[in-house]
Amino acid sequence: MNEHRRQILEMLAEGKITADEAERLIDALAREQPGSPPGTASGTKGRPKYLRVVLNSEDDSGLDGPTRMNIRIPLQLLRAGVRLTSLIPPQALTQVNAQLAKSGVPIDLTQLKPQHIEDLVEHLDDIIVDLDEPGSKIQVFCE
Amino acid sequence: MIPQLVTVRHRRANGRWLRFYVPVLPVLLVLSPLLLLAVLGGLIACRIFRVSAPGALRGIGRLLWALPGSRFEIEEGRMAFLVSVR
Repeated sequence: MNEHRRQILEMLAEGKITADEAERLIDALAREQPGSPPGTASGTKGRPKYLRVVLNSEDDSGLDGPTRMNIRIPLQLLRAGVRLTSLIPPQALTQVNAQLAKSGVPIDLTQLKPQHIEDLVEHLDDIIVDLDEPGSKIQVFCE
Repeated sequence: MIPQLVTVRHRRANGRWLRFYVPVLPVLLVLSPLLLLAVLGGLIACRIFRVSAPGALRGIGRLLWALPGSRFEIEEGRMAFLVSVR
C-alpha cells in the first residue's frame, strides 16, 4: 500500500504526472483498499456502510462562489426504504402502471419484487461513478 | 440505535451561521401526545388502504434505526445548508 503511494509520489516528483492526477490516483488507491476500520474484519474486504455523493463545481455562473455538495447515506437506510415499497397496495401499483403506460413508459411495477431491489442495493458497493468536467467533478461511491 | 442528535446548520448570504442542535429523544418525549395521535391516524390510514399496519410500523422503525450517520451538505456561494444525524 505504502509502496504504491510512494511510487505515485515519485512519479509526481519526476514530473511524469500532474498533482491532480496524483491526487486522483491516491484517492483511487485509498478506495480500492480502505484501511481496515475496526469492526469490519469479517469477509475478504470491509463492507461499505455509506453511499457518498460528492459534487464540486467551480463554475460559479451567476452565483458568488463555487457549489459543493456532500451527501452521505447509510446503505441500511436505502435497504429500509426499499422494504417500505413492499407496503404499497396492489391497487396503487396498477394505477401507477396505467399512468406510466399512458406516459409512454410501459413498466410493470408489480413485477418488481423487493428482493430484486434489495439485490440492487447489495451490489451498490461496487459502484464508482466519477465524472470529471472542466470546472466540476461528481463522484458517487460507497465507503 | 435511533438517532440521538440532529444538527442543522445554515449559513446565510451575509455569512452568519445559524445552528440548531435537536436532541431527538427529549423532543420525542415532549411531542409524545401528538405522536400517539399520529400513530393512531397512521393505523386508521393503514386499515383504510389495506396496508399491513405491523409491516408499516416495522418499516418506519427500520428507517429510524438506519438514520444515524446520514449527512447532507450543500454549499452554494456564500449560502450553505448542512444536516447531520448522529
